[in-house]
Amino acid sequence: MYILGISCFYHDASACLIKDGVVVAAAQEERFNRDKYSPVFPIQSINYCLQHEGITSYDLDHVTFYEKMYLKFERTIVSHIEGFPFTYKNFLDTMPLWLKDRLVVPLYIKDELTFNKKIWFVKHHLSHAASSYFLSPFNQAAILTVDGVGEYASATYGFAHENKIEIKKEISYPHSLGLLYSIVTAYLGFRVFSGEGKVMALAEFGTPCYIKEFNELIDVREDGSFRINLDYFSFNRGEKMHNKKFIKLLGEERPEDAPIAQRHKDIAASLQKVTEDVVLKMARHAYRETKSPNLCLAGGVFLNVTANSRILNETPFKNVFIQPAAGDAGSAIGSALYLYHSILNNEKRTTMINSALGPHYNLSQIEIILKNKRLKYTKTSTSEELTKKVAQFLADGKVVAWFQGRMEFGPRALGNRSILADPRSPTMKDWLNLTIKHREDFRPFGASILRERVSEFFEFDHDSPYMLYVAHFQKKYQGAFPAITHINGTSRIQTVRREENHRYYELISEFSKLTDVPMLLNTSLNDTEPIVCTPLSAIDLFLKTKIDYLAIEDFIVEK
Amino acid sequence: MEEKRCVECVLVESKPDIIIDEDGVCNVCKNHHASGIDESQEPEYLETDFLKIIDKHRGKGKYDCLCMLSGGKDSTASLYYIKEKYKMNPLVFTFNHGFVPDEHIQSAMKSVEKLGVDWIYFQTDFMKEMFRKIVKTKSKVVICPVCSLWYMLKTYEIAAQWDIPIIISGWTKGQTTSSKKSVMSKCACDQDPVEYSTMANATRDFMNNHVRTDPRYADFPASMEDVLTIARKKYKTKAIVLSPHWFVPSHPDEYVKVIKEKLDWDYPVRSYPKKSTNCDLNFLASKLAVDNYGYSHYHIEMSNLIRMGMITREEAIALLEIDYDKELLNPILEKLDCKMEDIKK
Repeated sequence: MYILGISCFYHDASACLIKDGVVVAAAQEERFNRDKYSPVFPIQSINYCLQHEGITSYDLDHVTFYEKMYLKFERTIVSHIEGFPFTYKNFLDTMPLWLKDRLVVPLYIKDELTFNKKIWFVKHHLSHAASSYFLSPFNQAAILTVDGVGEYASATYGFAHENKIEIKKEISYPHSLGLLYSIVTAYLGFRVFSGEGKVMALAEFGTPCYIKEFNELIDVREDGSFRINLDYFSFNRGEKMHNKKFIKLLGEERPEDAPIAQRHKDIAASLQKVTEDVVLKMARHAYRETKSPNLCLAGGVFLNVTANSRILNETPFKNVFIQPAAGDAGSAIGSALYLYHSILNNEKRTTMINSALGPHYNLSQIEIILKNKRLKYTKTSTSEELTKKVAQFLADGKVVAWFQGRMEFGPRALGNRSILADPRSPTMKDWLNLTIKHREDFRPFGASILRERVSEFFEFDHDSPYMLYVAHFQKKYQGAFPAITHINGTSRIQTVRREENHRYYELISEFSKLTDVPMLLNTSLNDTEPIVCTPLSAIDLFLKTKIDYLAIEDFIVEK
Repeated sequence: MEEKRCVECVLVESKPDIIIDEDGVCNVCKNHHASGIDESQEPEYLETDFLKIIDKHRGKGKYDCLCMLSGGKDSTASLYYIKEKYKMNPLVFTFNHGFVPDEHIQSAMKSVEKLGVDWIYFQTDFMKEMFRKIVKTKSKVVICPVCSLWYMLKTYEIAAQWDIPIIISGWTKGQTTSSKKSVMSKCACDQDPVEYSTMANATRDFMNNHVRTDPRYADFPASMEDVLTIARKKYKTKAIVLSPHWFVPSHPDEYVKVIKEKLDWDYPVRSYPKKSTNCDLNFLASKLAVDNYGYSHYHIEMSNLIRMGMITREEAIALLEIDYDKELLNPILEKLDCKMEDIKK
């Protein structure tokens, strides 16, 4: 049975294909159309998913959509009416989008895919919940979902057992932790969707001295439920969602190109602290209510690695699972799996092993491009030869673009579309930020480390295959890896097991043989555009930046 | 003088159409770079677009589409996908102007039988005199485009006869020098690309001076525009031409593997370029084109494929390599009542 899952029309549009309950392909539209966080109908991702299996839409049994559009529309209309006449301009701006795309999703799918069977609409947070639980290794678990907003819900907790998920409680719009984070992100001069990670990084440079002010903005209870103080916000009333009272409370907003002052860092730190406190309380409450040792997290807020780490370390849950596309992109998978398991009543048997669900390119395709572009390259004859050579480059301080196998699903590059470097280098972080990634100098880089040696270097001994946790270095290694160490002495880490990514594991092992350091700096293979998908994009990036080598499948390309 | 070949594609300098600069790059490649188009990145149309088009017409007549089948890998794969993947009911049409080796016809027949589809096989020697004239008059016209006028006309005629709205070809991405939209509506009749300019002029001259003046060919179309006009006005068909190869990003090796497995298909013993299934006349056509222009229509196709990232330049050169010896050409010339002397410059 084939089920196609779709998520689109807000941000991070994506598609996935489920075959008999197993995710066989998934990709975000931005990787194909090269428009970061692209919201459009993911037609190229859909074509990729179908072609990966060699099928067409005629072979699909069902199509699922990741939310209920009419419910969402109802909420939007009610919100506009409540705020009238101040919401009128926003109403005029958004209605065409609703009428053109969002309200005609079924017709859109039927027309674009030539699909005449039933289309299923799964609630937004149920899609989130399913995306985590049905990919987790658990047979029962507590579930927490937190994001900006779905139809009405902005956060839920629930319990899953075998193939059923029950949402027990939810918090509804406009009370939203994700929205609060995004509003403050915009207030601090960063872009919503891309700036939240920057605010999280910036938070470590500040002190949370605005907690009193944030307590004015959000009233948090012991069970993690909260209410936003609407006096400080103006939803649907223009481009900005904070109002004059908000500015009176926290001071003038920061224009995008203005310098970052200590006040901005302190506000970021306070926001981060409040966010962590809320999700911790939510998680503890979910534990009290379910008594499950397992927790599944989903929703954009759980891309916040610092908050995730505190849940892992400071709650009674023994096991925590977060799938790599925790935001809306992953909901395409969630909606499809929810249909397969909970509605069609199929047994749960999928466990995600890695995020490599995107396109791959064979050697001949790559060699054609290398030859026709007249690039200087060598073809290695074994995987061992490749990993030995690349490890030596890295140990020599070179930067390597690493393009291997299928593209990852989700916002993180996890060893298939990565830029790699030596984590020991004191100059590497600035060099990468300045010459290759072209991004703010305060942003840290993550690390990929062999799973069996993680506790030797970090105060951490868990699986983190999707780089969704941070950890402190062990005392003796503090300061030893400046390229991957954030200001607070932590690093965002990806643990790598051989069975999850054989070649990447071998590369780190080879690097370890040369340096006795079983880890590499790992950042996504892109500049400011979406992570590369095709060999040609990788080659273009390699040629236009100061990356020293490109290791693309069996080929090593040099300048 | 030694031929100057583009270092990026396989075109050879042939003024005024093809000019190679001091870096060894031809004007076609330079224009391609300047256009910023990167065909190897994304297809212009997606497979879902193909489905949208074919579904509009499905089930309206006895046949959903008319498949042109030469017996070669591209048209055989097209037929296979149309029947098995896109679940259409095709009528198949094979054209033989008298120079198609029996091996190709057998291959087409085998595919048709395995797929259980209806087949029209059309054989004629109607064009033999025209081909002979090309040789005898030492015209610079390339034989293949002239032949394609006739078989496309027959295709439209059959489509009209059976009220079939879609014609399925096996044309690859390399054979579509202009946009696919233009090919679909105009059947590749535009000869705008610079590498075809002089060839197109030679075709027009030959049609006007040697074909139209011959009473036997009074109704023969002078150009692909003529074919479309006749199709529209005389046959009253608006059938569009599509090829699945434009919509699916798959390499020939991939679909050859499929048709070998499913249809027991194989490459013919002898054809040009290598790994193709073209008629015997094609040897002569490409030889004359190379003599006249330094390159043939296959060099143009291969160059397009190189630019699309589907083949390496080295592979293209190897596929195009041929020794036009007497043994190869004599039997073809004899069939046309011509001799080797007739093709000497």
